[in-house]
Amino acid sequence: MPAERSSGMDHSHYAYSPLPARAPLFWPDKQPLAVGALVLLEHYEWEPPTDAYGLRNASGGLIKLPAPDYVQLTHREYGHRVGIFRVLDTLERYGIPATVAVDQLTAIHYPWLVEHLMERGCELIGHGVAASQVISSKVDEETELQIIRDSLDTLEKVTGLRPSGWFSPEGVESARTPELLAAAEVSYVCDWPNDEQPYKMTTPLGDLVSLPLFLEVDDEFALWHRRASLASWESMIVTAASRLHVDGRTSARHMMLTLRPWLTGQPFRIRSLDRSLSQIMQLEGIWAAQANAIVEAFRNSEFS
Amino acid sequence: MADRPTISWPNDAKVALWIAPNVEHYEYLPPRDALRNPWPRSPHPEVQGYSHRDYGNRVGFWRMLQVLDEHNVRCTASTNLAIFEHYPDIGKAMADRDWEIMSHGIYNTRYLSSLTEQEERAFYVDCIDTLRQHTGQDLKGMLGPAVSNTVRTPDLMAEAGLIYHADWLHDDQPIPIKVNDGPLISVPYSIELNDVPVFLQHHDTKDFVEMVKAQFDTLYEEGGTSGRVMALALHPYLMGMPHRIQGLEEILDYLLGHEDVWQATASQIAEHFIDHHYQEFVDHAEVIKGTHNAS
Repeated sequence: MPAERSSGMDHSHYAYSPLPARAPLFWPDKQPLAVGALVLLEHYEWEPPTDAYGLRNASGGLIKLPAPDYVQLTHREYGHRVGIFRVLDTLERYGIPATVAVDQLTAIHYPWLVEHLMERGCELIGHGVAASQVISSKVDEETELQIIRDSLDTLEKVTGLRPSGWFSPEGVESARTPELLAAAEVSYVCDWPNDEQPYKMTTPLGDLVSLPLFLEVDDEFALWHRRASLASWESMIVTAASRLHVDGRTSARHMMLTLRPWLTGQPFRIRSLDRSLSQIMQLEGIWAAQANAIVEAFRNSEFS
Repeated sequence: MADRPTISWPNDAKVALWIAPNVEHYEYLPPRDALRNPWPRSPHPEVQGYSHRDYGNRVGFWRMLQVLDEHNVRCTASTNLAIFEHYPDIGKAMADRDWEIMSHGIYNTRYLSSLTEQEERAFYVDCIDTLRQHTGQDLKGMLGPAVSNTVRTPDLMAEAGLIYHADWLHDDQPIPIKVNDGPLISVPYSIELNDVPVFLQHHDTKDFVEMVKAQFDTLYEEGGTSGRVMALALHPYLMGMPHRIQGLEEILDYLLGHEDVWQATASQIAEHFIDHHYQEFVDHAEVIKGTHNAS
């Protein structure tokens, strides 16, 4: 439905909330800035189901080639084989506990990797079935419910833990997604990069928290689509963190980096992540945290 | 440009500088438009693009406001007028500061391109009424919604009583636009000195600051001979980001640190031009045209 000209948002998922008008938010120990990393393990199928919807402008590869596009598919698979370890090592070096979005086909096809993530203490969150099966208004409600259920059930089966968070494949939703996630008892969703603090979402089927990612420093957004230089990416991360660290003294902020192992995990890029983190982690009072801890602190702060 | 009448701004300023934050609402589920899709990345809703812009209204606008306040800037806000309905807090913040509101249509996802003449007439009535209702201001000008227009736009704007149109990127000075019942002039805007195209590309904050300074230096130099206009087009969802805001401070320190700058609104520029230079520019254009025909 096109917007109606009345006060507030043109959808019912959350209320408009200008940041300066909010009650101040505080993290544990009054730390001004929470820093977290969402690492994406996205499986691209060689032969997606014929009725699946995939992004036309999916990243990776060289040019759009006729299927099977070996270049794109293997470029992306580099992340699962090599890049992930570099990214996790780098995050660990700076004491940032990773949150990893794992789709269902990754969980099925890479059992060793999932176990490895669990051993390293990563938080795993739901990420749909596959990057080649995007949830959007092109899928009907039943299919969407199935994707959400399959994704969460498989992760629970493989790890023994029910994921509390969600990031939709390619960050695409239908207009139903927030309420279906709430109905599936998902605690938080990362699809809405519109804020520097978590906020509450309200749906007819329950409430959840939106934990916005920092889109502008998302590696795909900055390095692949915008083609920013690595120097520029580093400078964005460091400048943004420094400013959020200042603003966070009045009301705490969070900064969720979105990292794709096939992209940031390349040997020439990993050094940029390393340099950025080495600088921001020198700031005093950085709270390195997993997504669920940030969301929990937000819930505690909001209801205290 | 080489042979024109001389423009003199108030206090012999060399550059008339207008600063235009674009305060916008892109719809979650915009109506289908056969000519243009605002969200081509995915089927609608496109929550990533929507949220990126929504950030401007939740966070970026307020961070920018602080910097604009510190520099005492009186902005010309290029505003999707439904902003006043959806976000009264933003509307009030702009009205309290006596910013000029320039129409940028109703929503950034509703284009003029496919409107009939009758619909476009009704559109101007809507813009004028909405602005008056929320601020008491008389609407003076427009930057087309998402820079969309029709061939009838200038005539219909003039007929509705608007005096300036910001969609003409063809000059560094205001220029009379031929309309049935004027006057209507262009006030130069910029799609180059504009954070959207700059940050859509790989450029970073430092590049933008350098571009703005260089643009200003040239216009300031040339403005010693005849007044120039410089527009600084900004978007809260981009410039209000934590990694860019320092750039805005640098830009404003630099521009406003020069003596012969008239920090004006678009309608102040338009009115000054119409009162002092409009007729000589129209006459001059006739002379140039005559020369061309004779040769």
